[in-house]
This record gives sequence, structure tokens and C-alpha cells, in this order.
Amino acid sequence: MKPSKYDVKTLQGMIATLQAYWSQQGCVIVQPLDMEVGAGTFHPATFLRAIGPEPWRTAYVQPCRRPTDGRYGENPNRVQHYYQFQVMLKPSPDHIQELYLQSLITLGIDPLTDDLRFVEDNWEAPTLGSWGLGWEVWQNGLEITQFTYFQQVGGLECRPVTGEITYGLERLAMSLQGVDHIYDLVWSKTGNTIITYGDVFHQNEVEMSKYNFEQANVNKLFDHFHTYEKESMRLIELNLPLPAYEMVLKTSHTFNLLDARHAISVTERQHYILKIRRLAKAVAESYFKAREALHFPLLQEKTHV
Amino acid sequence: MSNLISNAHYHDFLVEIHTEELPPKALSLLANRFSQSIQEQLSKANLHFSTAHAFSTPRRLAVWVKKLAATQPDTVIERKGPALDAAFDANQQPTPACLGFARSCGVEPSALMIIEQSPMHKWVGYRQTMKGKLTPELLPPIVQQALVALPIPKRMRWGNYSTEFVRPIHAIILLYGKNTITTELLHCQTGNKTQGHRFYSKKWITIKSPATYAKTLAKHYVIADATERREMIYQQILHWVNTELGEHARALINNALLDEVTALVEWPVAIGGKFDDAFLAIPQEALISVMQEHQRYFPVEDQTGKLLPYFITISNINSKNPSQLIAGNERVLRARLSDAAFFFQTDKTRPLVQRVENLKHIIFQAKLGSLYDKTQRLIQLATFLASILNINDKNELQAIARAALLAKADLTTGLVGEFPELQGIAGYYYALHDRETDRVADALKEHYLPRFAGDQLPSSRISCLLAIADRIDTLIGVFGIHQLPTGDKDPFGLRRAALGVVRILIEKKINLNLKDVLIFATEHYHPALENKIAAAQVLEFMLERLKHWQQEQGFTADTIAAVMSLGLSCPFDISQRIHAVQHFKQTPEASSLSLANKRVSHILAKYEAQSLGNTVDPELFEQEAEKELANALTMHQQRILSLAASANYPAILNQLAQLRDPIDHFFDQVLVMTEDKAKQYNRLLLLKHVRELFLEVADIALLQ
Repeated sequence: MKPSKYDVKTLQGMIATLQAYWSQQGCVIVQPLDMEVGAGTFHPATFLRAIGPEPWRTAYVQPCRRPTDGRYGENPNRVQHYYQFQVMLKPSPDHIQELYLQSLITLGIDPLTDDLRFVEDNWEAPTLGSWGLGWEVWQNGLEITQFTYFQQVGGLECRPVTGEITYGLERLAMSLQGVDHIYDLVWSKTGNTIITYGDVFHQNEVEMSKYNFEQANVNKLFDHFHTYEKESMRLIELNLPLPAYEMVLKTSHTFNLLDARHAISVTERQHYILKIRRLAKAVAESYFKAREALHFPLLQEKTHV
Repeated sequence: MSNLISNAHYHDFLVEIHTEELPPKALSLLANRFSQSIQEQLSKANLHFSTAHAFSTPRRLAVWVKKLAATQPDTVIERKGPALDAAFDANQQPTPACLGFARSCGVEPSALMIIEQSPMHKWVGYRQTMKGKLTPELLPPIVQQALVALPIPKRMRWGNYSTEFVRPIHAIILLYGKNTITTELLHCQTGNKTQGHRFYSKKWITIKSPATYAKTLAKHYVIADATERREMIYQQILHWVNTELGEHARALINNALLDEVTALVEWPVAIGGKFDDAFLAIPQEALISVMQEHQRYFPVEDQTGKLLPYFITISNINSKNPSQLIAGNERVLRARLSDAAFFFQTDKTRPLVQRVENLKHIIFQAKLGSLYDKTQRLIQLATFLASILNINDKNELQAIARAALLAKADLTTGLVGEFPELQGIAGYYYALHDRETDRVADALKEHYLPRFAGDQLPSSRISCLLAIADRIDTLIGVFGIHQLPTGDKDPFGLRRAALGVVRILIEKKINLNLKDVLIFATEHYHPALENKIAAAQVLEFMLERLKHWQQEQGFTADTIAAVMSLGLSCPFDISQRIHAVQHFKQTPEASSLSLANKRVSHILAKYEAQSLGNTVDPELFEQEAEKELANALTMHQQRILSLAASANYPAILNQLAQLRDPIDHFFDQVLVMTEDKAKQYNRLLLLKHVRELFLEVADIALLQ
């Protein structure tokens, strides 16, 4: 495997390298979802495409928001907004682990220098009615990737099985750059000009932490939650799974904000999770039927002129 | 047996399942069961072998069976046909019955033989030799069955396959002698190839024969034998500590962690790192927890048991640049410890007592309210326990109530949020910081003891009471909403909780009647629990645990039954009686007295309803033996009743043993069921008194 032509010691060089690599493996490089989500899995290019028999390979960067993880820009490792690089391969190829390890080599990681390990870690997303088995991948004791074979998505059995690879970009970059503090990460380097992660995001972390923990309007958020929930149900009735799914994502993020404001008691918490899961399951079923009605287009041979 | 088989008739067998990384905590169980199942099936198929050896690494399960017979032994079956005189007619021609039998055996009548039981009883018959099947044919289904039967908690599918296994399978080796058994198992074409270390060995490796498996893999940087790997790791840790830190340091090597790490590497290389001394200010338990649970590192301590700022990690490679590998590990640990240090600092800005209010937001169980509610009940229950145990010291009573109030407060701290395994321990440190008394702080930590079978118990009385109150509250609550444990399902850990209480009461010699406590606990649930018989059910459940535990301690079932049949509900008292009875059982008087009790119990059973009166009338005695028994009874009764008051069961049984002769004489000489009703009742009454005296300790009629 040739080393990357990009500067992998910068965050943007790392992303470019991963995109180029996975593009060569037949992945459709899509762009981030333009909505607030807690993980790359929520992007319809993963969650919905994992449903049904159609093959699919995709890779993309996804900004993720986890309001409760905010630390006002003061913690060297925790942020409420961060990036995942998401790869999904359906069906999971026999050599998926090899493909993944090659991507690390392309990033300049030498498996005979760094200790790379697949450590059992099973994944479950209660709000999505989804679970899978797999590992977290360790590089010298640091979890840099979550690697999962989806078994169920939206309550539906996965046939075929999707292999999901989720790189934690900041962690991986911190390890590649040998940096202890997230805000010291080099985002880009042009000549002598260095832009750091802090330059790009520190103010955002401070302000968003204040918003998430102190300013988010709880009453309005509850209203929003119920509005999105009703809209999602209405859209499912109308056989419009894609807009219905967007409403699910909105309920999910609203819930996360309410959680950060400690507005949801522990009992209610489970209750809200179940509400979102019910919607996600209904969307999954509706999406499956919609694809079926289209005769699962990606199962058909594609001819090129 | 193997002497009888020539070399050509047996070979070694090897099966290897080459997979993606298997779950480390399940690995040794999977390997052992796989080997066991294959051995059992070989035996069942009558295939002889000498021994079997299990191998396991993160990426493979393998079994090497030595000297496995090449075929099943032939078996001879004799079938009996029609009687000889019905088989041939007068012309010595086979009859239709005989022809039919021959046909069913697949041979001509001429091939049949004569079975002679006696000159008068002869039959035609057929002796058939069933050729044993060839081992290579029998092995694939045996392996298949062993794989299906593996105790895998969650099976998975992958790719387009419908096969299910622990993790995806990449290759299967089936090797008998030097020959590959080719077949398809779990969608995999079997062969004689596997892969070595993930990073050191790129090509597929051919295994030439079962005996060379481990050696071949070792050349490709895989130590296939888990025991060998474990020992290597152990020695490497010792070596690192000794050479880098000297003899004053020693590694904390936890067996479970050693097993887990063994299952995470194929080529173990121990390498140590350091962390900043400043982190030693964090509670030691938190440091250990971060290193062991989260990072799978081995901590290091000095001779006095104080942690040193070092750790050892077991990597899967001999790194080209060990300092980079270590720097990476140190960075991760630093981040984790910074987190812990941050929480430890910020948590301390709010005293535990102010956090109690926040427990309203943490649910105990959906139907049982919040941890705040539980806290209120704990205060009441712990105080009640103190009162029935006659604890009058004002300071101690205050400490009990205070400890109960603060018991769960640390669940609201950031440290416990991040490291849930530190519950109690965090409370201890924060209580000390808040200037709570030492015994309150201790109780916050110790009321979680014992956490598992064989764990240590709380040291102080306050800790014990809080531990008991906490568990009884949970037991009553969960039983109260009908969530009784079933089979292997015990999500609330109620068996462990019940045994915990029993052990504390017995080992700490706390004389507590559970019945009153359980009723009190039930009555203090608001709103009232759905299950109205929860207290009785919990009592039965706890006594059941007590019974099992005493059996594990080596007390026999009849001894335990003799005591438990009295319907007691004070575990310490029950255990005292069990000890005394077990000892009594070994005395020369025991069997005779047990027999006598059985007789008395049978006789009296018929008179249950009838009143026999209260006082024995010496005027009605006829026989010397009656008087002797009555006198002996009077003599010992007083003494026994006073011994009973102090629960001195060994002494009571000593007294009772002296009744053996009078009782034996009584039964030898006296006819209880005499015609004269008055005398009869008088004798029955005498026996009733005897029996009652024995029942002061146990129903020794139940001894075997």
C-alpha cells in the first residue's frame, strides 16, 4: 500500500486520505448529513441503506453532536461536537478487517510499531432499535475505531449483514500527531501557517456548552419534541419514510438537549427512548416497503454506456 | 488398549476454527467446551483415542486428539430366526418362514447358521459383522455438532452467509494424520491451511500434521497454547518489574485480568510505562480500576501495598519502536486519569449531604421509586435494626442514621458517573473530605460488601447493619412487585443479596430474627407493595440460600433439615443449632436417640388432636423404667431450659444424650398402648415431654 499523497499529520489531510482510500474500495463518498445527529450511523446513507437486500458501500465524514459531552472547551479530550469518519460495506466482505487495517497503513500507521488490537465491544443503539457485534480497535491502548457487524437495524434483521467502521477522527489524529490536547491538533498546514482544532472550534465548544447546559429553552424543546414526533407519525402514515426519518432525527437531538438540561428524569428517560425507537422501527419498515415497491433498484445489474 | 492397535490403525486428529477476534472473557470456556464435546462424541461413537488437547488464541479454537483409532471397531450382531423345526420342511427344504428370514438378512438360506440353546431348543440364525465406519467419515459431523453446541451467548451472521457463529470464520482445518478431510462446515471448505500472527505472518500456512500444529504456529508468531501464553505473560510481568523497578515493587496480577489479556494476544510482549506522581492523589481504587478495567493494564505497588506510578501492558507485537508504543499507552492513561482527577476535584466542592436531594432524580426501580425514597427507607430500617439489636449508644445510633442517609449519595458524583465500579469507594473518600466520622465513611464503602461469593464482609457493626438494611430493602421491594428470580435469571442479584445478609448475620454472630425485619421493611414501602406475601416469600428465599450455603460448608442435608424443620427465622441461631447437631450426630448416643424420636413422633402423631393433659402423674407408673425416665426428665429439664435460654445447644444435646438409657429402657420394658386409658395417656404425656425437650434444639428424628 502506497503512503498517502496528503499530509496525514493534519486533520484535513487525514480525511482526504481516508476518502481517497475508501473511494478506491468502491465506496460512494457522500457528504455529511445536514442535520444534528449523535453518530455517523444516523446518516440515512448508513441507517436506511443497511435495511433490505440491496448492496451498498459508502464513506463520509459526519459531524456528531452529543450535548452532554460538552466541557466548555476546558477538557483535553471531551467535546460536544466532533467528527466521525464512517464507512459502511454491505454485504460485509470477507476481508473487511484487512481492508480496514490497510486504511490505517495508508495513514502511516505501522502495525509492527504500534500495537493494534480488536477488543470485543458490542454495539447497541436503543433509540434506533439496532444492535450488532464487533470490536473497538485499539492503537496502543487508545480506542480509535468502532467496528460492527450489524445484526438488526430498526428492529429488522440484517440480510445481508452490513459491516460498519467508524473512525473517531479527533482521537486518531491526536494519536497520529502525538498530541495530548484536542485543541492543539493541527487542522491544516500551509507553508508556515498552521490552523489548529482550537482555532476552528474552541469558541464553538464554549458557547455551545453554555447553550446546551444553561440556555436551551426546555419548554420549547418539549414542544418541539412532541411536534416532531407527531409529524413523523403523520409522514409514516403517508408512506414518506425519508421525511419521517428526518423527524426521527430531530426528536433524537431534541431529546439529547433535554437530557443535557437535566430536564428528563430517569423514569421518563426510558419512556422517551422508547418513543424514538418506535418511530425508528416504523420508518425502517416503511422504508423497506418503499424500496420493495421500487423492486430494490440496486439489486438490478447496472449497465454503463 | 493402545498396545493392541498397530501403528497403522491410529493417527492424530486436528481441528482448527480460524476466526476473527473472539470475545476474550468467553475464550477459555469456548475452547474447553469444544474439546470436551469432541471427546464425548468420539467416545460415544466408540472411537478410541489417548488424550485431547485444546488450543485457543484470539483468532482460533483448536483441538488436537492424540492416537485416534482409524475406524470404529467391528460389531457382531446375532439375529435369531424361526425355530429349527419350523425352518425346514420334511424334505429339508427351507420353509417360507425361513426364506423370509434369510431375505430380511440379505442372504441365501444356506448362509444361515443354527443357534443351539439346548438340544431341545434350536433356531436358525444369522451372524452379521457390522464393519466399523472409517474415522474420517465420522469426524465432520462430530465437529459440526461440537460447534453447534458451543455456549455462545450471542451468535452473529456476517456478509451474505446464513451461518451463525461467535465471530466470522475464515478457515477450518480438519487433519487426520497427514491427510486433510475435505468437506464443507459452516459454509467453509475444510483444508489444512491457517494464518499466523495478524501482522507478522502474511501468507497462509500449511499444517503438515496435528503434532506439528503448535510448533508451526510458533514459527509464525502465534503461541497457540493458552496456558503457555498465560505463563509467558506472568513471567514477563515479573521480569519487567524486577529489572525496571527492583525487588521493592510488585505487580498486582489479578487472575481474571491475566486470563482476559491471555485471550487478547497471540504473541505477548510485556512492556511497562509510567504516569505522573501527581495522579497518586486520586483514590487508589480509582487508579486501579482505570488501569485494570478500562485499559487492561497491570498496576504496580510497593511493599506496603501503596501504588507506584507505573503500569504494565501486554502488547501483541515486539514493537520496532517500543518507546512510541509506550508513549501512546501513557497518553491514553493520562487522559483517563486527568478525567478521574477532574471529577475527584469538582465532586468535592459539593458535600455528600447536599447531594442526597439529587437522588430524587435517580430511579431505583420504575415501580419502586427513586434512590431518595430508598434512602428514606434505609434510615428507618437501619434504625429499626439498631433498636431490636439493643444498640443504645447515642453516638452509634447517630452514625447509623447518618450512614444510611449518605449511603447512596455518591451515585450523583461525576466520579461514579464515569467509573460506576467506584460506588461506595467514592463515597468513602468524599465523606472523609466532608469531615464525616471515620465510621460513617467506612460504612459508605463497606455496605456494598460482600460483592461476590467468598468476598470479605463489612468490618464494623454500623457497616453490617447498613449492608443488611440495603439488601433487605431491595429483596422486599423486588419481591413486592413480583420480580422473583427464575432459573438463571436474577437481574437484581437477589440471590447474592440474600446470601450476603445470611453470611453477615452468621459470621458476625448477629442474632436477628428476619421475620420482624422483613415485615417492618414491607410496611415502610409507600405506596404499599402489590405482592402481599412478599415478606414470607423473602424469608423462604433467604432460608433456602442459607440451606445451600450450609451444605457448601460441609453440613449434611439431614442435619440442616433437622434444624430447619422447626420453622426458625434467625440465621445465626439456625447456624448454631446446625453446628451442634452435626457434632451430636457423631456421638455414640445419636442413632439410638434419633430412632427413639422417630418412634415417639410416630406414636404422638396419632394423638395430635387429643389432649393428653399437662402433668405426668407418678401414681400411674407401673414399671421401673417409667419412673426412671420421669426422674431423668425432671433432672435434666430444668438444666436444659436454662441452657436453652442462652442458646447453648451443644450443652443441651449433652444433657439429652444422657437420656439415652432411660429412653431405651422405657421402650424395652413399657407397653405404651396399654388397655388402661389413664395409664396409656400418662405414658404418652411422658413421651411428649421427652420429645418437646429434644425439639428445643432440632428434630433429631430427621437424622439419617
